[in-house]
Amino acid sequence: MMDRLARVAAPAATVLVFLLLWQGSVDAFHVSPDKLPAPAAILATIWHGRIAFASAIGTTLAEALIGLAGGTLIGIASGVLLSQVRLLERMFLPYLVASQAVPIIAFGAIIIMWFGNGISSKAIIAVYLSFFPVAVNTLAGISAIEPSEIGLLRSFGAGRLAILFKLQLPATLPAIFTAIRLGASLALVGAIVGEWFGATQGLGVVLLTAMFDYRVPQLWAAIVLTGATGTALYGLVVLLQRRIAWWQAEA
Amino acid sequence: MASKIRVVGISKHYDVGRKAMRTLDDVGLDVGAGEFVTLVGPSGCGKSTLFSILAGLTAPDPGGELFIDGKRRALDHLLGGVAFMPQRDMLFPWRTVLDNAILAAEIDGVPRRVARERATRSLDRFELRGFAAHYPGQLSGGMRQRVALLRTFMFERDIMLLDEPFGALDALTRALMQRWLLEVWEANRRTVLFITHDIDEAIFLGDRVVVMSARPGRIKFDAAVPLPRPRSTGMVTQPDFVALKRQLLGIIEEESLKTFEAMNQPLATDA
Repeated sequence: MMDRLARVAAPAATVLVFLLLWQGSVDAFHVSPDKLPAPAAILATIWHGRIAFASAIGTTLAEALIGLAGGTLIGIASGVLLSQVRLLERMFLPYLVASQAVPIIAFGAIIIMWFGNGISSKAIIAVYLSFFPVAVNTLAGISAIEPSEIGLLRSFGAGRLAILFKLQLPATLPAIFTAIRLGASLALVGAIVGEWFGATQGLGVVLLTAMFDYRVPQLWAAIVLTGATGTALYGLVVLLQRRIAWWQAEA
Repeated sequence: MASKIRVVGISKHYDVGRKAMRTLDDVGLDVGAGEFVTLVGPSGCGKSTLFSILAGLTAPDPGGELFIDGKRRALDHLLGGVAFMPQRDMLFPWRTVLDNAILAAEIDGVPRRVARERATRSLDRFELRGFAAHYPGQLSGGMRQRVALLRTFMFERDIMLLDEPFGALDALTRALMQRWLLEVWEANRRTVLFITHDIDEAIFLGDRVVVMSARPGRIKFDAAVPLPRPRSTGMVTQPDFVALKRQLLGIIEEESLKTFEAMNQPLATDA
């Protein structure tokens, strides 16, 4: 109990001390709010614009979540496919890797032209960014399963489908979740970058307009909220992982 | 006793670099229906390879023959047809004790609900009562082995291949498990092939003890165990037991020495 308390309290204390130092130095050295606003001022800005901010977060979070879900499904599907058909792995894995060398920025404009400036274009960018780690980890996880475990299932008369669903997929779930955690951050980046190319609402739009209008407290408020959204998204994945893939990989 | 499983002329080699490593050399074995045969031999003599071939998981070199119930069969005939328990328990950490136990039955097409009911009824006999909902990570080594054994027994085939199921257990747990296994086996008398490193275990459990030679594995020695059933702990000090043990120790020491010498030849080292 004390241990759990300390695990929550200790990092919270770090943040509190950090915020106090921040607030204290801004006050003490009279730092201009155009350079760095004090935490209290940022909080006030957030509170003041809470309705607009909430709607922006809603939009961006929806884009990231749809993108992450799609990226996860496509990632698992392609990882499974490549793991089952050796020829497909040989044919496509190099290009899969190469695809990640192309910065999404290069494609952003095209994707907005093709899919419009609504939610779907951002979700597609988020899919593109988040599917890759999931695909790679799925493939690696399935390949790492001991042949003797597959042999055991075959000795029970299992075919490929039974081996896939009773051994390969469940055994790979922890690795898949590790990838989804990475994908969660990438999906949010994808959604925001997508908004920069063309959107009417969302955190990316708030960031851009605050920058162009030189509203620094507004900009900082958007930064803080983006961070909070990213943390929440990551936390959601961790929570799901603890519920679904809670076991430790055995030696 | 009618022959349940008979293999003739089973050989197996693996290509290691440009050299062929012969694992099994012309192995022949005949196991009667309901017989409990224990298989001993120095490590690396191909016992596990032989099991893998019998289970249909590994193809032997051409030329071998397999007979089941006196009928000639393809060499992979037993794939899905024997209850095979490998050395490691291979329990799935994401499945509960009960769901690990029904894995083989489930793959065999038994509906989950039916399989769970059957496994639940067996929990007592496998001394797992109260642990149905536990996960493998929460169990001791002996309990994990019993779950793996229950999984093997739930796959109802009349031939069982048990590869050193008690190898990782401490002496006391092992002795308890041996007596317990015999009790369970007496109840339905399936044909059992049982690999072990432990000569006492081989004699105590088996109707017959078969010794394999150092690599490449051959059948070196095959003797009936002159002890009545049911076996009891006191038998391990009987003259018949001790005489057979002395004989087996001699043969196995000779074979182990060959393995040891082969390992220490500077040109024949393998990683």
